Formats: sequence, structure tokens, C-alpha cells
Amino acid sequence: MPMIDVDNLTKIFHDNDGREFRAVDNLSFRVDAGRIYGLLGPNGAGKTTTLRMLSALMTPTSGRITVNGYTVGEHEFEIKKSMGFLTANTGLYQRLSSRDVLRYFGELHGFDRRQAVDRAEVLIGEMGITDFADQRCGTLSTGQKQRTNIARALIADPPVLIMDEPTLGLDVMSNRVILDFILAQREAGKTIILSTHYLDEAENMCDMIGLLHRGGIAAEGTIDELREQAGVERLSSIFLKIIHAHDPMEGVA
Amino acid sequence: MINLRRTKSIYTKELVDLLRDHRTLLAMVVVPIVLYPALMLGGIQVLSTQTAKLHDAQFTVGFQSKSDWEDVVRPMLDQEASVLELEREKARADGASEAELAEFQKPVIELIDPNVTGQLEVAVRSRQVHCGVVVASVETHGPNREKQFRIRLLYQPEDLRSQLAADRLDRAFERVAEHEVQRRLRARQVDPVVIEPVIVEQKALTSAGSVLGLIVPLILVLMTITGAIYPAIDVTAGERERGTLESLMVCPVPVIDLICGKFLVVSTIAIMGAALNLGSVTVTVFLGGFEQVLNLNDADGSGGFPFWALPVVLACLVPLAVLMSAVMIAVCSCARTFKEAQNYVLPVILAALFPGGIAALPGTRLEGVNLVMPVGNMVLLTRELLSGAHVPAASYAWVLLSTCLYAAAAVALAANVFGRESVLFAESVSLRAIFNRKLFKRSDRPTLSAAALYAAILFPIWFHVQNLLQLSSDDAVSGALYGTAILLPILFVGAPILAMQFWRVDTQNTLRIRFPAFRFVLGGALIGLTAWIPASELFVFQDAYLGSPPALDAMNKAMDAGLAKLGFWIALVCLAIVPGICEELFFRGFLLSAALKKMRPWPAILMSAAIFGVFHFFIFRFFVTAGLGVVLGMLCWRSRSIWPGVIAHMLHNGLATCTAFNPQWRQRIGIVEVDKWPVHLPTHVILIGSIIFVTGIALSWPAAKSEVDSS
Repeated sequence: MPMIDVDNLTKIFHDNDGREFRAVDNLSFRVDAGRIYGLLGPNGAGKTTTLRMLSALMTPTSGRITVNGYTVGEHEFEIKKSMGFLTANTGLYQRLSSRDVLRYFGELHGFDRRQAVDRAEVLIGEMGITDFADQRCGTLSTGQKQRTNIARALIADPPVLIMDEPTLGLDVMSNRVILDFILAQREAGKTIILSTHYLDEAENMCDMIGLLHRGGIAAEGTIDELREQAGVERLSSIFLKIIHAHDPMEGVA
Repeated sequence: MINLRRTKSIYTKELVDLLRDHRTLLAMVVVPIVLYPALMLGGIQVLSTQTAKLHDAQFTVGFQSKSDWEDVVRPMLDQEASVLELEREKARADGASEAELAEFQKPVIELIDPNVTGQLEVAVRSRQVHCGVVVASVETHGPNREKQFRIRLLYQPEDLRSQLAADRLDRAFERVAEHEVQRRLRARQVDPVVIEPVIVEQKALTSAGSVLGLIVPLILVLMTITGAIYPAIDVTAGERERGTLESLMVCPVPVIDLICGKFLVVSTIAIMGAALNLGSVTVTVFLGGFEQVLNLNDADGSGGFPFWALPVVLACLVPLAVLMSAVMIAVCSCARTFKEAQNYVLPVILAALFPGGIAALPGTRLEGVNLVMPVGNMVLLTRELLSGAHVPAASYAWVLLSTCLYAAAAVALAANVFGRESVLFAESVSLRAIFNRKLFKRSDRPTLSAAALYAAILFPIWFHVQNLLQLSSDDAVSGALYGTAILLPILFVGAPILAMQFWRVDTQNTLRIRFPAFRFVLGGALIGLTAWIPASELFVFQDAYLGSPPALDAMNKAMDAGLAKLGFWIALVCLAIVPGICEELFFRGFLLSAALKKMRPWPAILMSAAIFGVFHFFIFRFFVTAGLGVVLGMLCWRSRSIWPGVIAHMLHNGLATCTAFNPQWRQRIGIVEVDKWPVHLPTHVILIGSIIFVTGIALSWPAAKSEVDSS
């Protein structure tokens, strides 16, 4: 049984005049445990909306999502407990230290004070936060913030990690920290969904890639399968070719 | 249910986070410590310079003609000067202080060229002169040919200096006239004492006209409100702006826990702010000797600042702080950035300033509809307390109760707004999106927050309506009954139905308009026929421990008289049928259905019953009305239909109406003292009645077969 099962997922938004907009349209895909699934696509393809529905932040208009055996809409809290969520622009509380932040999120995940403190200490050690654990987050460097944020996402040791553009706007060093972390998590057996604009990253890291276009899957497979399908080598070329086949005008632009 | 441990974690974290922010500390601590001394010192200086200025001011006076001045007014003013000099010497001999002697100073009058003939009114209106003097006529009377002058003073009452000039001249002429009367009486060898059968001495207990005494309570209330603004923005829009909201929302925590933790923190900061403000006022008054300025002290110094009132004032500011915290959180939850939140907060402050400003007017009293005026009631209560006035317990109850009710509705609204997907992720939250009917999902019942909000809005309106109705006709009671019968269907049924249609709520399901099983109808009827028995005994019990208000007897008599005027059938419609239907549809249909969506059945029934009791605006009847509300709520919950309750309610009210028209009924069941109330019922009545009542309850206890409320 797959760890994540998305079935006929649809999300409709309404603008102020009540006009419909289908951000996600009959989307289906599966991710097996211990795999990295890359969710790629141009801006507005519905990646962020999909990830928000996956993490029970948004309610699907229709369709079904199962994560770790739980269904979105029925087991909201179990879903949230099974998941770590990280984006590049996730902020931290400026006036709290990394240690405070980790303890706070531990308590929010249902740990008591003692457990929260212990878990925070474990992550502080693992993520190399010890040196700046008592500094206020407002004074940390981008890399230090990123480490703290990763620790926050791992606080409840979730089996699934959702990464929405985790490396957006980071320098090379910080970028490396995140990518190494993602690979290490796969080694540890976690299931990861990675949404990114950096195709090199996806090419190197993802076990499966889903190309999202206009709210639906335009193509899906391992990188080799996609190469075969499109008849070109590089992922960026594959990307352009498939989008173009789907929507000639957009592909050209 | 709210998870207390988690709410505490959120509370602690937010409190630490906020207290580490220098902006919070600045707003909370520095402002009040600096504000009040500055305000009072500044206020005193401005006031005293103003007074000194006015005292030394020269007034320009215009005359109709030169002769009016030279032949009439100047001689009179000269005469006044000598009278003043005499009185001053006499006062000095009596040991008057310098301040008192200053009273006898001659007013400084500056003359302008008195050739403004014919245009004197224009000159006063255009403020060329402060005051105009017209000698209207000079007549002579009696054998001694004594003169009588008719002098007209022209002035503008809205111009303080014009008014003062006229006052001074008026006093001068009075003084001269008094002196002349005494002279004429002596000439006739009459002791002037005979024309003074009464001598009035006025003693002002407070120094009059202090503006600060009116403004300080308003400032205290406004500072409490502003204390909530910064933390409310920080924990809502601030969280969004810093990008921490999403990571918070992916935690397995219900929104209500989050909002409660945040709301408690904002309330805490607002209350701390209120305490610091109050402390600063006290210290300023105490150390600065400003009791006079606060209009609090006796002229002879025996009144003093009511220090005992301070804890009471603080306790009263707590619900206000809670209310405003909830309102601010609800408003700021819609904003994405600090800046946007500040824009949203501004209209809220203006909206609070309006009733606050009305309450700060000297003529406004803590009574009638002002008791439930949001914010305004707190300004008035604070003023009464700070001036050392006695505040009746019922007034406290109204102010606190109404404020708590508004606060509860605001918290419910905040929870609703904060968790909403459209607010959480929208690029911009527009009011159109919030009110666009197409975007509403159909729902089987209204949300608790929507229902609570409607009840909170209806509460002051209904209070006002009741007061107005009782004023509108000479024949207060029957007018009120007519008005109630007309407005109940509009406000309690029509408006909620329209609102539900708009929000796409299933009206029929919410109001539980469906046929019940027969046993519920029978149960409702039995309860309706006998509920007066436990009610009556409850009154006796309450009377024994709490006593009854003295006005109760008069009210009951007025009620009977009003009913007699209406006639039996109209009284039955106004008192039994209309309220029976409308109140059930609102309290058991609309409100209880909404409550059952979020709450367990019994707390929901108790809450709707308490609101039912409060809406009857008579504290003495609260427990009995709320008790009936519990029984009616139970009926509605178990039967899943509105009708058994309607039957019970109509029968209960109808029976009371019948008894009012047929007092002999009371005798017939064995009550001897017909005029006395409340009295114990005869034992056999209690016994038989209780059996029927309990049978009614037992019949309606097993829940209706169709699906039971999922709560």
C-alpha cells in the first residue's frame, strides 16, 4: 500500500465575483514509502495547492487523499501528526531562541514539557544547532535558520515530509544543507514529496517525478522513463517538450 | 473540548514572545506612566491660564448711544465700585482670605466708541464688542419720583467671553439695584431684612466644571482598548507576515485552542495595561494633589479620592479588556500584514470612541440603555466609581453581563475568521469574498459564532426597544405588550430567517420545523400546564434567600392593569401565542441548534437557557426563566421538533394570562392570601402538579427515533 495516495483530487477557488478557477483538476498519483517524489511544474500549475491539501491545511473540493493510512477530511490531526512541512519562506519566531521554538512545536504536537525538552535536545544535537541554540532566531544567519526550521519539521519524527520549494532563494551552502538532509531522510526510510523549480535538483534526487500542468499530471515516471517518453536527455528539455505538447502556446512562451 | 495543556503552551509562548518585544513594553508601561502626569499637569496649566486670562480680561462693551453710557451706565458702575469697596472692607474685617477678597475686584470694562448706534446687534454678532448695552426705558414712580431703568444686555451665549461680559455687567447692575433697594427702604424707615424672608446659601461639594474629571475615565477605557491593539496584531497578522502561520497551522492543534491561547495572551496584556494605567492615575492623583482636578474632592476637603474603588474599577475593566481583545483578534485575523491590520483597527477604535464619547458627556448617566451600550457603559461605570458615587448592584450586573456577552460573541467570531481557509491563504481578504453568497457552502445549521453574534447584536436592540416601548405611551404596560407582539416576529424570527437564507443555511432543519411523535406533544402539554408550580416554588425559595425588589409589587399591579386594558383575547395573543412561537423559534430553534453543532447537549441547553433568561431583562426572574429555558431546551433536543416546546411555552404563558384575568382561580386551588406574592402553594397542589410535571418530562425523555443529534 502506498504511503501517499492521491485520487481524483480537485480544488476549485472562486474569485471575488464568484467565478470558478480550478487550481487542481482530477489529480491522481501515488508515492511509496521511502521514496522521493518530485512535483514539478510551471508557476500556477497547482503544486502549492496540492501540498496544502496533502497537509490538511486546505479542504479538497472533491477527491480523496490518504496519507499513512489516514484520510484527509476525516483524520485531520493524524494526518498532521504524520507530516513534517517545510518551505523556503517558512519563518521563525524572531524573539524566541531555536531551543524555545523546538520545545514550543514539540508541545503543539502533544508532547508534555519533559518530552518536548528531550526531543528538542536530540534534534539540536543532530542538526548541529548546539552553538546557537540559545540565540534569538532574529539574529541567526540564513543557514542557521534553515537548520532550525528543518529541526522544527522533524519534531514529531513524522514518516512523511512535504517540501514546498525548500531551497528557493538560498545560497549554495544552505542549499547543500537542505539537499543532504533530504537524502539522509530518505535513507532513514521517510517518504518525501519535493516541489521545486530547480530541475537539476529534481533530476539528481527524485525517485519519481510528476509533471504538473494546469492542475493535472501531464507526465509521470522515473527520470529514465520520462527521457524515453520525450526522447530528449535533460530534464529541462523534457519539461518544455511535455508542456508544449500539452499546451502549444505556453510551451513556446 | 479545549485542550488546556496545549492552550497553556500557546499562551506561555505568546506571552514570552510579546514581553520580549520592546514595542509591547513601550505601549504598555511607558505610555501610561508618562501620559497621566503629563495630561494632568498640562491640563491644570491650560485650565489655570485660561481662568486667569478670563479673570483679567478686558471686555469691550458697546452702547446704543453716548448718553446711555454717560448718563446711566457709568454712574451705575461708579456706584458699584464704591459698593464693592465697602463690601470688601467688610469682608476683610471678617477675616476673609485673599482669594475670597478677589471676588470683590471691579470688573475691567473697556469702552469702545459708543457711536455704533443702531448697529449694536450687528456689532455683537460680528464680535466687534463682547456685549451690548441698551437702556430700553427710564420711568419714574411714586411720590418720591424714584427711577426705574430697563436695561437690555445683548450677548452671544456660545461665546464664553461674551457670556462672561454679560454676567459681569448683570452682576454689577444687580449689586447697584440691591444697594438702591436698601437705601429706599431705609428712607421709608423699613428694615431691609423684611424683604429677605429666605436666604439661600449654596455649597458646591465638588469643584465645578472640571473637564478632566469627565475625560479621565474615557482615557482609561481607551487606553485599555489600545493596550489590546499591538499584541492582537502581533499574534495574528504578525504571525502571517513573518511566515510562521503556515507552520503553526500544520501542527495537529484545533484552531479553537490556538485562538484561545492567543486571545488569553492579548487579554492578559490588555488587563496589565489597564492596571498600569489605573495605577498611574492613582499615583498621579495621590502624589500630585490633583484631586480637585479630577472633580473628586469636597470644597472643604472631606471627600477625597475613593481609593477603595480602584480594585472595583480594575475588576470592571477586565471584561472590557477581554471584549476588546476578542474584537481586535477577530479584526486583525483578516489582515496579512501589520500595516493592513492597523488600517482595519482604526475604524474599530472610532466605533468604540463614539459610544465612549457619548458617555463622557456630562449629562449622560449610567441608566437605561446606557447600561448595555458597549464601551460607553464602562466609561460611565468608571466615572461613577472614580467620583465615589454609589452604584446599585443591578447596574454592575447589567454592565458586566452585557460586556461578557459581547466578548463571547467576539471570541466565537474570531475563531471562525482565524481558521477560515479563505482568510488563511488569500492573497488579499476582501469583504466581498467574505460576504459573497456564491462562496458559502450549504450547511444544515448556522455556526455557533454566527448565532452568538446575532444574539449579541439583538441584545442591546431589544433592551432599547423595551425601554422605548415603555416610554412611548402613557399607558406603558399595554403599549409595551403590543409593541413586543409586533416586534418579536420581526427581530426574533424574520431577521434570523433572512440571515440564514443569505448564508445558505437549511432553515427548516435549524428551526426544527417537523412533526413530533405524539408522546412529545402530550409531554409538552403536561409540562406547559404544570411548569408554574416549580416556578412558583422557586420564587418562594429565592425570595427567602435573596429577597424581592421593592418595586415588584407595583410592577405586578401595573401589569394587571395593563392587561385589563388590552382585554383577554388580545392579552392572550400578545403574551402567550406570539412569544410562545417566536421565542421558541429563536432560542430553541436558531440558538440551540447552532450551539449543538459545536457543544455537548447539556452545556448547549444551559447556555441557550441562560441567554433566554438574560433576554427577559429582569434579574429577579432570571433563575426561573432560565430554568424554564432548560426544560424547553430539553424538550426540543429530545423531540427534534420545535412544536412540543411551543405548546408548553404557550400553555404556560396562557395559564398565567388566564390567572391574571381570573384571580379567583388562585383561591380555588386553596391559596388564601391572594394579594401576597410569592407564597407557598398548598401541598396537594404541589404534589399533584409535580406528578403531572414529572410525567411530562418522562414522556419526552427518550429521544426521538430518527437520527440523534451528532454532538
